[in-house]
Amino acid sequence: MDQEMAFHIDAMTREYVRSGMSEADAARAARKRFGSTFRHKEAGHDTRSGHLDELVQDVKSGLRQLTGAPTFAVVAAITLALGIGVNAAVFAVVKSALLDALPYTDADRLVRVYGGARAQLQRGPLSAGTISDIRERQRSLASLSAFMDVVIDAVFGSDSGPQVARMAWVEHNFFDTLGVSAARGRVFRREDALSGLTPLTGGILAPDAPSAVMLTYSGWTRLFGGDEAVLGRDVRVNGIPRHVIGVLPSNYVGPMGAVDFYFAFDLGPVLGNVIVARGSQWLGGVGRLKPGVAHETARDEIAAIWTDLVREFPADNRALGLATVPLREAMIGNTRTPLLVLMASAGLVLFITCANLAGALLSRALSRRKEFAVRAALGAGRGRLVRQLLTESVVLAVTGGVAGVVIASVTLDRLGQFAARALPGYVTLSLDWGAVIVIGGVAIATGLLFGAAPALSIERSQAQSAVRDDSRGASESRRSLRLRGVLVAGQMALCLSLLVGAGLLTRSLWAMTGQSLGFEPNGVLTAALQLPLRDYATPESRALFRTRLEEELRGLPGVTAVATATSIPTAVRQRSGVTLEGAPSSGGQTFVIMAAVSDDYFRTLQIPLHQGRTFGTQDLPNTPTKLVISESMARRFWPDGNAIGQRIGLGPNPQAPLNEIVGIVGDVRNDRARPDAEPMAYASTRQNGAPIVTILVRADGDPLALARPMERAVAGLDSGIALQRVMTMPVVLGEGIAGRRLPVLLMTGFGVLALLLATVGVYAMFASLAAAREREFGIRLALGSRPGAIAALVLRQGAGWMVAGLAVGAVGIVVVVRLVRDLLYNVSPFDPVTLGASVAVLVACATIALLIPVRRATRVDAAVALRAQ
Amino acid sequence: MGVRDFDLIQGTLDLLVLKCLGTGANHGYGIALRIHQLSDDALRIEEGSLYPALYRMEEQGLIESEWGVTENNRRAKFYSLTRKGRAVADAELDSWRRLSKAVTRVLRGLEQGA
Repeated sequence: MDQEMAFHIDAMTREYVRSGMSEADAARAARKRFGSTFRHKEAGHDTRSGHLDELVQDVKSGLRQLTGAPTFAVVAAITLALGIGVNAAVFAVVKSALLDALPYTDADRLVRVYGGARAQLQRGPLSAGTISDIRERQRSLASLSAFMDVVIDAVFGSDSGPQVARMAWVEHNFFDTLGVSAARGRVFRREDALSGLTPLTGGILAPDAPSAVMLTYSGWTRLFGGDEAVLGRDVRVNGIPRHVIGVLPSNYVGPMGAVDFYFAFDLGPVLGNVIVARGSQWLGGVGRLKPGVAHETARDEIAAIWTDLVREFPADNRALGLATVPLREAMIGNTRTPLLVLMASAGLVLFITCANLAGALLSRALSRRKEFAVRAALGAGRGRLVRQLLTESVVLAVTGGVAGVVIASVTLDRLGQFAARALPGYVTLSLDWGAVIVIGGVAIATGLLFGAAPALSIERSQAQSAVRDDSRGASESRRSLRLRGVLVAGQMALCLSLLVGAGLLTRSLWAMTGQSLGFEPNGVLTAALQLPLRDYATPESRALFRTRLEEELRGLPGVTAVATATSIPTAVRQRSGVTLEGAPSSGGQTFVIMAAVSDDYFRTLQIPLHQGRTFGTQDLPNTPTKLVISESMARRFWPDGNAIGQRIGLGPNPQAPLNEIVGIVGDVRNDRARPDAEPMAYASTRQNGAPIVTILVRADGDPLALARPMERAVAGLDSGIALQRVMTMPVVLGEGIAGRRLPVLLMTGFGVLALLLATVGVYAMFASLAAAREREFGIRLALGSRPGAIAALVLRQGAGWMVAGLAVGAVGIVVVVRLVRDLLYNVSPFDPVTLGASVAVLVACATIALLIPVRRATRVDAAVALRAQ
Repeated sequence: MGVRDFDLIQGTLDLLVLKCLGTGANHGYGIALRIHQLSDDALRIEEGSLYPALYRMEEQGLIESEWGVTENNRRAKFYSLTRKGRAVADAELDSWRRLSKAVTRVLRGLEQGA
């Protein structure tokens, strides 16, 4: 049969050639005249050919079909690839973050206990006393372990010179509570925990004397190159010799984030110190439920214990809160909402993909109606036709799927580069094959359901009329027209919701980054270093080092100002309770953030002085401590404006000497995600001997050019000290906002993608509509209709569906706004600028997509159109 | 039976094909070409109609086919009339003549009357 058709085409071609056509034109004309019929072998009633043969035929035919209609194939495959790609990538992240088990034994039995200032509703730290009391009184936990909930830098001495490593302190039973055992060596035992330590400012425990080091897998590979003989080896941390007792498994990530190694501590000495035992909050708590105990039971029991503790120790606990949450929830933290937003966005893109694919397949099926009719007439069974269509779709799915997997891997790779900091530490960015298959399957199934199914509604009995109908250029049925309109309107609706979501998040980010922080970050280079307590045991020795360092740095070329501090702005972690002089001890009723800064700090960062003075040589150690406070702190405590000269108590110890306020400076926003600045107090480094030194240098020109000279200056003072985290201030700020930037970037990406897909969808629909009505337009033109009238005809049809899409999109906007509301900052959820811009962009793109086919329609040559069929 | 200038009355395509094959075996393209030429280009048979008709008539036993070689040395499927087909062709031709004669008479009478 195939040969017979081929012969027919061939004969016709020769006839055309004889009548003066070129060989190629003739062949094309003959094929066109014959329709696509010739390309198909009909199984017909031929039962001799086996199913395998048919399958091979179908696949070949499918490929031919797709290569024969490149526009359709390219649009469909790209659509499918993008849909599968981004969805698989996002789903991989979401699944890893929200669904996969944490890397601990029976991880769903683990809980996290939080403390923190009640008024600020933050997930904050607990005091040693609170942890110890809960541990003694509770019945629902099999174990409860404390850890220091910050990652700190340490200097790791190696053969190649000092290296900066990240470390954390944990109680000895920490890994047993998590159910993690060492991959090599052993985990901590009671005797590894050093006694006699107390917490110092900046997350340092003193004395720094533990001898046992547990490496994480990343620490082992990074610091030791994965050396198998590492166990028992002597290493130097902060200049003190210690030895390695174990290496953790590769999939382990602690609740405090990624670190290189752990030290063990013992709470005993801390509990013995009356002032810090309950007055100082610096610990995280993680517990394991006893078998059969529900999370709610443990939560209620610990809440009841806390109520008792507040009553028993009102001075310390009155202003504090406590919360027990499942560990997974704790580790997901505030990334849950962004992740859900991302998943929802990706889902919308998938819907658009499906709609687009359905539209494309529908157009394709309609244009092949004649072919199907002829083949049905020739005796092809319906099942055979269905199989053929399915095979074609599978060919398409495989093509799009392979491209989709490539896109997904690239996306994940990119995500790994800029999103890792914004995601919970345990998240692994690897492709989930199940998700790829499910997503691809959904897309193809939708496409077939809406696209190919109508083609099959041609009954065998109608075959003759279908053949005839088409040869007369009848326009498509009302029903399939409506289906296509709905698909286009649906795409526009989904696209609009996404664009609005992306727009709102972008505006929030702009608002966040655009608003002044209260200081001038440009031109400032920052770095940190840590003075080993062994070599710098006294505050005087530390102060001396700082002074000499500042002098050295001031001498570097291009440097205009140098300051040191305990932390850099926007990363201040320390909070202290404020007690006004004369007022009853409020137990830290209100907390302010605290930092100790050098004399030139305000000048270096260009923080304006509003009243009084900043620090100077008169602020000697062993004299009453002086404070400079922020404007908002002055307003908060002394609304009458008489803050200067007032004396306040800071911290948990009611007997501590009072601090005198000597100056008021401008507000600095510590948390960029909050529009208002937190009240802040500054002490002088002259009166505060913390071993952590943060360096801030302002320079003319590129501050990064100072990095090398700065390292040399530090090495010149003490070769055992490594300079850490040398970064410009704008980079520091960018990192701080990474978690906020991620959803904005991704959602904007999805919005653009959705816009692209929707535009292609609109174009594809109206292009095929216009093509189908070409003959009609030709007649109209021949009868004297003006091109403008024809354009209006098509535009009216398009505008109708567009308006419908925008109307449904309004509902989508409400849903999206509810989803992203928590992520907004200084932007109204129904921001008119965002709404207007989204609608404008969408309508503009859709109109362009619409105008191309319209333009073609009005250029129809009446004579050609009429003769075409 | 889609034709550009005239619609063929149902059944006429079968008659044309059968009579065309009456003068000797031919392939599908040859049949279409012959009819086209003999009608002074007025009738053009669509492939979508021709091949279904050929298969139907072969199934009804009116025609039979075999693979042969054309004058240009190309392989093609040649159709020829069966005995049953010849009989059906004659009967069809007879009824067509009566029909067309009747139609012509009616039309002539109507034109003269008008």
